[in-house]
Amino acid sequence: MNRLREMRDARGWTQAELAARVGVSRKTVNTVENRVFTPSTPLALKLADALGVTVEELFWLAD
Amino acid sequence: MVEVDRVEKAERLGRSRSRVFFVLAMVFFAQQAAYFASPAASRASPLQIGAWFVLVILLLLLLATGGFLFKGRKVWDLLNDETARTNRAAAQALGFWVTIIMALAVYVESIFDPLTLNEGLHIIVTTGVGAALISFAVRERRAHQIG
Repeated sequence: MNRLREMRDARGWTQAELAARVGVSRKTVNTVENRVFTPSTPLALKLADALGVTVEELFWLAD
Repeated sequence: MVEVDRVEKAERLGRSRSRVFFVLAMVFFAQQAAYFASPAASRASPLQIGAWFVLVILLLLLLATGGFLFKGRKVWDLLNDETARTNRAAAQALGFWVTIIMALAVYVESIFDPLTLNEGLHIIVTTGVGAALISFAVRERRAHQIG
């Protein structure tokens, strides 16, 4: 589970802008947002860093 | 940070790649179906075998690298980021299993209807490479269409 879309929207960034900040494709941001793709630990850390939050605020395990 | 333009360029190329890979796999299968439908005597033509061999090497290179090697390192890195690498690994795994299953099928078939070594290898390699290529194209296409 993640709050990637919510946090990205809060900053007014497009998927392409977030992808550019992290250094991945827009497809990767999109598939993570839609919970189709589970990112690796380095990518989760990069996403959290780009959004200025901790990984725990961005991702959590579903019950 | 990567430029947004570069991300958008990689997006366009990624979509094209999934379409091109799918079409290439279809052309490859059609070509091989025509090859096996032709009389056995004409199949030994060096031109036909050479064309198949070159195409297999080309498709394997595309599968191994993700293609678009000449578009620049930064765009290539975006095209082959984590999701693309994951999709490619899954496609290669599927290609492996299809190859093994086809090898077993050819082995059993050869007991009843003997095949030459060349024919058997041709069938096994064609199905394995084609299946991996289609799988990668479909996975990438699906990933692009989500959302």
